[in-house]
Amino acid sequence: MEKNLALLAFVLLVAACSEAPDSANTNSLPRAEPSISETNTEITNGSRTAGYSNNRNAYFGDLHVHTMYSFDAFIFGTTSSPNDAYEFAKGGVITHPAGFDMQLQVPLDFYGVTDHATYIGVLRAMADPNSDVSSHPMAEGMDRLDASATPEERGAKFREVLEFLRTPEANAVNDPNIRRSAWADIIATANRHNDPGNFTAFIGYEYTATTPDRGNLHRNVIFRGDSAPELPLSRTDTINPEDLWDWMDANREQGFESLAIPHNSNGSNGAMFALTDTSGRPLDDAYSDQRMRNEPLVEITQVKGTSDTHPALSPNDEWADFEIMPLRIATNLYSEPNGSYVRQAFLNGLKLQAEQGFNPFKFGVIGSSDSHNATYAGEEHDYWSKVGLRDSDGVLRGSVPLPEPTADGERYTDTYFDTWSAAGLAGVWAEENTRESIYDAFRRKETFGTSGTRMKVRFFGGYDLPSADDEDMIAKAYAGGVPMGGDLINEEGASPSFIAWIAKDPNGADLERLQIIKGWAEGGEIREEIYDIACSGGDVNPTTHRCPDNGARVDISDCTITDGVGAAELKSGWQDPDYDPEQHALYYVRGLENPTCRWSTWDAIRAGVEPNPDLYPTIQERVWSSPIWITPSQ
Amino acid sequence: MPGIILKQPLFWFIGIGALLFFADNQLADTRNEIIINDALRSRLSALWTTQTGLTASEAELDALTDNWLREEVMYQEALRLGLDQEDSIVRRRLIQKLGFIAESEPLPAPKEGDVESFYQSNIENYTLPIRYSFQHKYFRTIATAETALTQITSGTPAQNFGEASMLNPSYAYRSALDLNATFGVGFANNIASLPEGSWQGPVQSGFGFHLILINTIHPEQVTPLNLIEEQVFQDFQRSRQLQTRDAYIENLLEEYRVIVETQ
Repeated sequence: MEKNLALLAFVLLVAACSEAPDSANTNSLPRAEPSISETNTEITNGSRTAGYSNNRNAYFGDLHVHTMYSFDAFIFGTTSSPNDAYEFAKGGVITHPAGFDMQLQVPLDFYGVTDHATYIGVLRAMADPNSDVSSHPMAEGMDRLDASATPEERGAKFREVLEFLRTPEANAVNDPNIRRSAWADIIATANRHNDPGNFTAFIGYEYTATTPDRGNLHRNVIFRGDSAPELPLSRTDTINPEDLWDWMDANREQGFESLAIPHNSNGSNGAMFALTDTSGRPLDDAYSDQRMRNEPLVEITQVKGTSDTHPALSPNDEWADFEIMPLRIATNLYSEPNGSYVRQAFLNGLKLQAEQGFNPFKFGVIGSSDSHNATYAGEEHDYWSKVGLRDSDGVLRGSVPLPEPTADGERYTDTYFDTWSAAGLAGVWAEENTRESIYDAFRRKETFGTSGTRMKVRFFGGYDLPSADDEDMIAKAYAGGVPMGGDLINEEGASPSFIAWIAKDPNGADLERLQIIKGWAEGGEIREEIYDIACSGGDVNPTTHRCPDNGARVDISDCTITDGVGAAELKSGWQDPDYDPEQHALYYVRGLENPTCRWSTWDAIRAGVEPNPDLYPTIQERVWSSPIWITPSQ
Repeated sequence: MPGIILKQPLFWFIGIGALLFFADNQLADTRNEIIINDALRSRLSALWTTQTGLTASEAELDALTDNWLREEVMYQEALRLGLDQEDSIVRRRLIQKLGFIAESEPLPAPKEGDVESFYQSNIENYTLPIRYSFQHKYFRTIATAETALTQITSGTPAQNFGEASMLNPSYAYRSALDLNATFGVGFANNIASLPEGSWQGPVQSGFGFHLILINTIHPEQVTPLNLIEEQVFQDFQRSRQLQTRDAYIENLLEEYRVIVETQ
């Protein structure tokens, strides 16, 4: 008897320690009323929708969103379904597990729910007493995952499940029937919400592979059509991304066209853009072909940091230190920058092209959020981060001080959430808002990424471009050149012309400057140079290639910004002053907004405290275009 | 000093243990029997097979049964001591289980005319909003926009005015939502009061100022049911699922006497 009581006392202690205030979680019910846009079916002639334009329209979307079917999102407290996710994208309101409402100021044009294929729907099923997997010991922990669990418990459970899922024993819960039913719901929901001309819903999922040392090799797979294979390929099938490409190639033969978008290369510890394949062999022509056939795009920014470049890789780029997330994903381990950033991959690709005749890193770029709350998460002033109840307020994400400093004198929660970013939108130039038109833009790489702002960027290169101010510039540029994502073969040593053009987010700050980033390979080395080509105040200094300071400032006590400085649009024709016809080169556009408050500063203002001095108080929101590649004539 | 004692796990361990011992003595001896039979053993055996893919040997099954018994006796004792009471985790878990059961009831097939009447009573969800088809001229400053308007009004062709921008020169069938997305939040309100057929403005946007010529204001338009039958059916099903759950809770509430005590 005493022995039993001693055990009970221990159990009680544990229970008492894990007790937390009960908070309401009211978003578990599906929303009954469809939003207006869901019914907004245009009746048009022929197969073209009302917004069709030969000059192509810019559309904004998020191709990286997790719902309750993702094992980790479920642990984080997310009960929102794919249906809720699409309702949100179209402008509807859904409730965060912490109880507050989430709504977009401006709805998105396209959206892709991308739940982790691995154990898709399984953790949710573990909480369902009618399911077989609910009797698995791992399911026991699932009862801590209601709204009463603390963020620490969620974090602990996340790590526990993550470790468990890496073991062979995890196969026992990986019930294919559960996965098939979740996947079927994801497909049906995307098809139901897809509304040609108004809103595009892509079928997709995340393939979540890692290297043995936890380097991130994650990809999102996006399907073009309204159907997909019976089950998505997951990390339990293979942790080798080359197998994913084989699977995609085989699917293509069966009529399932798809592409994969790598993300968080920043957390790959050098693996995402390594110069060897998975088995350690040097890259070759066949590898390059297969990678490019399946991976025409890369995610350049998201909540877990920006992967354009790193200050250690681009020491002469004053804007390189931007939303850097220095760790391997879901760990506290440092991620080696070399091999982990997109710009360096672009340059290494050029070098391979020059020296060996193939380029495995010829990507277009997009941004996306990677939200695990079913909702886009890119607004600085309305930020809810992305892992449910683990980072739902300023204290949890390190922007607002703890009520009391810790025993070690730490004033803020010790967390990597403070390295995260309110970020990530995908932009495309497409004729109309349909799956086919937008997907084809992905394939052409006529895409751009933004840090969350809805800035637009146009970029053309060619030997027969009109003047940048020509009234019919867009049509003539398409006729006489290539848009972003395209290739130019050098014509008889002639220097190509470029036209770059950015427009501000109509609900955001004015523009500061327009830049072209050039990369090239020379004498076995990779090189880069940043050219400012249009300024919102004054002219570019021809020696330094820099704009003067336009005087825009942020008052971080209330986030007001200097009025009347900055531009609504910046546009310029440009020729490379250092052009060398022998070089393999690429050019891409970066557009910068005037500085504004970062999410962490908004958090602090709302809490009535000083911003965390260890975090940047402001941010320069930006847009990156896909590159245009120049190949010397043979 | 008392603070240090209160932080000692041993203090709490002994204290709570003593309380439980006291509580145990006060309770009648109403312990249930714990039955171990073949049904239990084959359930444990099947679970082992699901988890490991292997068949449990006799020795393994004995160990599993022994482990089950140790857990079961703790579980029964915890129930007997009422440890499940007022426990928010247990409460939440039971609610979740009942919710799954309530939702697992299959929906009966809809009757003739059900979808039609759902469509009619939710017609606002199947109605296109007011939309605008218009041309515009863009100006960075309000002064240049006003000057241009004066000249256009006095007969100068509108094509002579406006500054280049990434915006399209004209837009067709744009809802308020579309307009705010393209021109900035608030823009739709600014043009809602403009008449058709003449250049008006300046209207402010996120980019600057615009002169607007509205060609047509398209009124609200109901989408015929036959074009969106499948979608309406899905909405109907979703709404019935919600109703089923609400009705389940309503029925339960009728079985309970709810007393609201006021101070």
